[in-house]
Amino acid sequence: MFRLEHLTKQFSDQFVLEDFSFDILEGEKIIISGRSGIGKTTLFRLLLGFEQPDNGKIYFENELLTAITVWNLRRRVAYVSQDMNIGRGNLQAFFNETLSLKANVEYKNSSLSELEELLNSFELPDTLLQKNIEELSGGEKQRVAIINALLLKRNIFFLDEITSALDKSLKSKVLDYFLLNPAFTVLSISHDNYLPTEAVTRTLKLD
Amino acid sequence: MNGAQDLSIFSMLMCGILLLVPLLGIWYLKLGLAKKLLISTLRMVVQLVLVGFFLEFVFRFNNWLLNSIWFLTMITVAVFSVIKNSGLKLRHFVRPVLLSFVLANFFVVLYFNFFIAKLSFILDAKYMIAIGGMVLGNSLRANIVGLGDFYKSIRKDEQLYFYKLSLGATRFEALRDFAKRSFVSAMNPTIASMATMGIVSLPGMMTGQILGGSVPLVAIKYQIAIMIAILASTVLSISLSIFFTVGKSFDKYGVMQKSVFAEK
Repeated sequence: MFRLEHLTKQFSDQFVLEDFSFDILEGEKIIISGRSGIGKTTLFRLLLGFEQPDNGKIYFENELLTAITVWNLRRRVAYVSQDMNIGRGNLQAFFNETLSLKANVEYKNSSLSELEELLNSFELPDTLLQKNIEELSGGEKQRVAIINALLLKRNIFFLDEITSALDKSLKSKVLDYFLLNPAFTVLSISHDNYLPTEAVTRTLKLD
Repeated sequence: MNGAQDLSIFSMLMCGILLLVPLLGIWYLKLGLAKKLLISTLRMVVQLVLVGFFLEFVFRFNNWLLNSIWFLTMITVAVFSVIKNSGLKLRHFVRPVLLSFVLANFFVVLYFNFFIAKLSFILDAKYMIAIGGMVLGNSLRANIVGLGDFYKSIRKDEQLYFYKLSLGATRFEALRDFAKRSFVSAMNPTIASMATMGIVSLPGMMTGQILGGSVPLVAIKYQIAIMIAILASTVLSISLSIFFTVGKSFDKYGVMQKSVFAEK
């Protein structure tokens, strides 16, 4: 599904990635680990075209990632960032806005009808929808970002430390949700020790 | 209409004495602003004297080409000021913002002269330069806030912008909220001052017209018209400035170019 060929990325004089190659198959669950600052998030930014590699190529479904094809990839991948800056204002309006984007509007009605169920399955009350994003706690925001990603009805996920603000039982619930679904292709940056026992994962250690 | 009474040399000297009030305050409070104040006063006097003579000349000739060139000069100076004061890179922005300001301000001023003032000569110096100056001065202030904030807020909230792109937003969709908020902060001061106009402030234009011999009922009509013209040119110039600059400020991946901001 993804093929990374000889990627090199340097910031000032520090190599973040050097001649890095990796293949990701459909349905795989890749756990990306490594100490902080090693370039885990940079890898996602390269895949999403927010950074350009100094060298090397990225293929998505056998197509070279370019300034043109990257816009298609951004409609296919659901990204949950580590950064909690997801927007402002009323939460219901936030979900509506995501689903009003041209890329997602075809799922608007079906996704909105599943919203309450999704909130409940991640232990959030329906009343949260009336709150402003600014009022939410870190753990609530993190789950909101996860739900927002699920509403997109995509099956490729880039997850960047999405359980850092969650307690143990929610952590396992979230990871089970992503890692046990055979239809999902998942790249997950995580410092968690927990992995569902039934999950088939592959670890990519950056160092 | 006799026009305002001329001020004699004696009057201007008395005005100079009034300057002693801020100077004494600065000295007493040890603000250390005396030199700056004197230089600014001197600059103001010299610039206004030069402009005074120049405008005498322009008004006497009242030639369409000369009037237009002078208005264009005013616009160009305003554009440089907008870009410099909003921390953006001059070379990157000067052409698109100039185009935006020329279109917005010429349109509003010519509309004003033709439909509102109903002039037979719509490039008339008095109207074009006076009305144009007021409209331009205000859209200058609004654009420093609007255009500057637009790009700065994207830099500050880059993660949020990328997040929207990752949700599948087009560049236009991802930028829409940033543009909206810049418009609000740019237009708020004008809208707020409209709400208190006449009670808290007697605007400069009305003051000028009343001293110039117009009756207040005429002066307020002009004031209403000019405030609306200011809002129109503000909205037009900010929209066009953003529209004309967005194309070259982002690469094909939708990432903002480093060349947008002036180096510190």
